[in-house]
Amino acid sequence: MKKIYLVDDQPISNFITKKLLELEGFEGAVEDFTDPSRAFQSVIEEEDALIFLDLNMPVMNGWDFLEALKKNNIFHRTIILTSSTSKIDKEKAKEYSNVIKYMVKPMNKKKISQLSEYLKAS
Amino acid sequence: MSDIFQNTSQLYRITYEAYSKFANDVNRCVDLEEIAEVCKTHLKYLLNFRIIRMTIYQGDKFFFFEQFGTKIWFDLREESQLFPYEKELLEQGIPLITNDIPDKLIRNKIDLDSLYDPVLWGWCFNKNERKVIVSLLADQEKTFSIGDVEILKLIVDCIQAKFNEIYLKRQLAIQNKNLSEAYETIKSKNLEIETIVENQKQTIKDRTSEIVEKNKKLLHILALNSHSIREPLSRIQGIIQLFEFMDDKECRSELIPKLEITVEEMDEILKEVVDMASKDLIELKA
Repeated sequence: MKKIYLVDDQPISNFITKKLLELEGFEGAVEDFTDPSRAFQSVIEEEDALIFLDLNMPVMNGWDFLEALKKNNIFHRTIILTSSTSKIDKEKAKEYSNVIKYMVKPMNKKKISQLSEYLKAS
Repeated sequence: MSDIFQNTSQLYRITYEAYSKFANDVNRCVDLEEIAEVCKTHLKYLLNFRIIRMTIYQGDKFFFFEQFGTKIWFDLREESQLFPYEKELLEQGIPLITNDIPDKLIRNKIDLDSLYDPVLWGWCFNKNERKVIVSLLADQEKTFSIGDVEILKLIVDCIQAKFNEIYLKRQLAIQNKNLSEAYETIKSKNLEIETIVENQKQTIKDRTSEIVEKNKKLLHILALNSHSIREPLSRIQGIIQLFEFMDDKECRSELIPKLEITVEEMDEILKEVVDMASKDLIELKA
């Protein structure tokens, strides 16, 4: 079972995503981080992981996180989960090949269902 | 030696030579003072007179030229300063011979008593639409006769032509000066205008970049604010849609406190946003 990383400075956001993953029947491990740099330290140790990444965070934001992955040649599949509806952000996300989806909060049951193929055990 | 006055051809030759010397000298003159000098020297060899006075009509003024012996007066004057008999000459053009000598003509020059049988001659010559009033005072000592009129006409012609030339040159010089002044004025005005235009350009550039800067800042404020507000709002929405999947107890213990925290945060953020926006707007003078 693959590991899921939740990276969002708001613990409540992580809580919501975690709950929805449970409801969707995901049984694997879910690690949630409110500090992106700690999440990064941990995720580079993983062989594979699915990352839910917020963009707007203090100190290290989502873009910094993606750049850091790129520099370390880590291409874990990443789903951007943000409250930003900005088209600029959405376009920028396309520049990263490992970003498989750009999702606008709030996350809900319907949206999480769209990710079922990524949540299946590989 | 034969009497010179009996030898007509010799007389002619002398007159001709005197005249050509006079005409040549006048021709070389560059100003009125020089003409006066030439007249002072040469006129007495060409004509007999006590006083000769020429009034050349020029534009709306009259150029007066008067010679008595070696004294010469010349000036540019108004028409009102013409002598009464000169006005008559100007208007009627009938030549004048009279023994009635106007006091104004001889005043400060010669006593009427010292003249022997004085005669005042007067003409209004009109050549090329340019009128010249000539008056000549003669007496028995300085006799003038009708035969001298031809040489007088030549003299007047010569002086008038020279006077016109000098007058035109002066007019030209004045015009040139005016033109140069006008040119200088235009040049300096142009410079002024150029400076104004440059300043305007700079002002417009400054203002435009100021406005662009303001717009950028305003857009930035807008984006930042929208984002700050949307973040807690999306959390509230996220929590609410979890309600249907959890039982009452769980909702009470897990969701409601999170909702409360988030609503509180959103309120704080809204307050901040309003404060910040007001501050930014004041700074931008928008």
